[in-house]
Amino acid sequence: MDETVKKYTTRKEFFKQYKKKSRLQETWNRFLRNKTAVLGLFIFVFIMVVAAAAPLIANYDDEAIKINVPARLKGPSAEHIFDTDEMGRDILARIVHGAQISLVVGFSAVALALFIGGAFGAIAGYYGGKTDEIIMRCMDVFLCLPDVLLALAIVAAFGTNLVNMTVAIGLSFTPKFSRVVRSAVMTVRGIEYVEAARAIGSTNAHIITNHVLINCFGPIVVQVTLYVASAILTISALSFIGLGIQAPIPEWGNMLASGRAYMRDHAYIVVAPGLAIFVTILSLNLLGDGLRDALDPRLK
Amino acid sequence: MDIKKVNEQENTLEIKNLVIHYISDDEVVKAVNGVNITIKAGKTLGLVGETGAGKTTTALSILNLVPEPQGKILSGEVLLEGRSVFSMNPLELEEVRGDKVAMIFQDPMTSLNPVHTVGAQIAESIAIHRKVSKQEALKQAKEMLELVGIPGERANEYPYQFSGGMKQRVVIAIALACSPDLLIADEPTTALDVTIQAQVLKLINELRQKYHMSMLMITHDLGIVAEVCDEVSIAYAGRIIEHGNLEDIFDHMRHPYTKGLFDALPDIEARRSELKPIKGLMPDPTNLPTGCPFHPRCDYAMEICSQSLPQTKWISETHCVECHLYNDTNESRL
Repeated sequence: MDETVKKYTTRKEFFKQYKKKSRLQETWNRFLRNKTAVLGLFIFVFIMVVAAAAPLIANYDDEAIKINVPARLKGPSAEHIFDTDEMGRDILARIVHGAQISLVVGFSAVALALFIGGAFGAIAGYYGGKTDEIIMRCMDVFLCLPDVLLALAIVAAFGTNLVNMTVAIGLSFTPKFSRVVRSAVMTVRGIEYVEAARAIGSTNAHIITNHVLINCFGPIVVQVTLYVASAILTISALSFIGLGIQAPIPEWGNMLASGRAYMRDHAYIVVAPGLAIFVTILSLNLLGDGLRDALDPRLK
Repeated sequence: MDIKKVNEQENTLEIKNLVIHYISDDEVVKAVNGVNITIKAGKTLGLVGETGAGKTTTALSILNLVPEPQGKILSGEVLLEGRSVFSMNPLELEEVRGDKVAMIFQDPMTSLNPVHTVGAQIAESIAIHRKVSKQEALKQAKEMLELVGIPGERANEYPYQFSGGMKQRVVIAIALACSPDLLIADEPTTALDVTIQAQVLKLINELRQKYHMSMLMITHDLGIVAEVCDEVSIAYAGRIIEHGNLEDIFDHMRHPYTKGLFDALPDIEARRSELKPIKGLMPDPTNLPTGCPFHPRCDYAMEICSQSLPQTKWISETHCVECHLYNDTNESRL
């Protein structure tokens, strides 16, 4: 007994032994136990690193853009591991540079959707009643249009460039985020500390940002991960039908589209971008599922 | 006449004939059906009743926090130092909440936000009502923590690092941060075990006396009432059926329900005797019986009880009861 008394000289040290691991750490540990989720995270980090390091791997102008007809469809070689495409450009170079576009547009579109949809969802969920009805019925109208179709309409109307496409995809995802945030807010709204915050005279705006939304972090992070995957797929889909990123800018969807004619003899031209899309989306979905399991307190 | 005027001004809280129903698509929950409560400055009123007697709804109405849109205040008034709460605009309400009236919630586990440090949560109330910098608010928050018996350096810790009793101390610190005139304690000890209950009660009582606050203590524990309250109101089915000071209620109770509550307490000296519960159950608040809401469970029920609602009858200056037994007498008929 004397030993325990001696071991902790200050009060702080004494309390330290009772400190539990922080919530974040607990969640992280739970996440690490999920092997497929860790694999997803690993692949996704790898893709991010490759995208960020794209200029180091291949020169954008020389290898991904410049047409070099003599080198076209030469078959895999030491110089062009994944073959060259119909214009003689290195497919690997185009894939890694395409990753940049997919990730940047994917994340910005989702950020836009989260910002707009989240704001509407939070207001609808927090105030409830008529406010909720009006906002959510408007969102429902947008929700019943397939998002590719909605994005397509926006791009068709305003022209195809990077910004328009980001806005188009962002807007088409907005109702989904408003639904997610609304339901998360409604759960948190009922907890006593929100009432306690009102009882000390906090303003509604302060309560929404400082007490409610901050506690909705879990479900929102999960949805962001899953919808980034969905956004990347939408970009590729739009590009594939020619309404997204335009040639010669390398993008996985338009690479697939332009390579279709040659796939019989030169499989890489289609398989490589297809695989890139597949692996990116798989990794994000694994990551999202893993996060959901780790953040869900019911599985504790 | 003059004395009465002075008395009126001294009332911290006055609730007059309050009626609140929760109205949903398919039913009407009659939570509060004409409650009258008065708390004089510096005094503590105990509001006692079963679950569903409308205690919490009454408390929430004082801060105009009755959950919307289902909760409808159908009639009545809540006066805080003479000002009507229901006619305040949102800005005035925000000023009253936390500054003039503070509330201690039932469950400390859920009434603290898990993502903010306890210091920040105490400072929030100070920052809203006092024009001070963030640092100053945090400093005062630490002092409040010390006041409720928690080392100030723990202000940077999160609620999950505290035990239940300590969390309730933090909740008390939040409530007292702006030294309110009226403290509403909504079953502050139900979520705590008995030894911690005693500590927390002692703390609330000490601080209340130190700052000369009035208090509304909501509870279903008559022991707590005996310990901390000056006056008691017994609530049943959204009405105050008996009200008086401690002596009136504990020694000269008049209402059969009050008697039933006391009879249902175990007697430490008669260990072998069986408990005498009040027969039946609390009436369904969506479908209250006609007349006196207690008559189906009452041993003294008469014909008139099922027909008309008893009027408030003053037995003495301090003691009133709502029961047909006392229509023509002041003597106890239990």
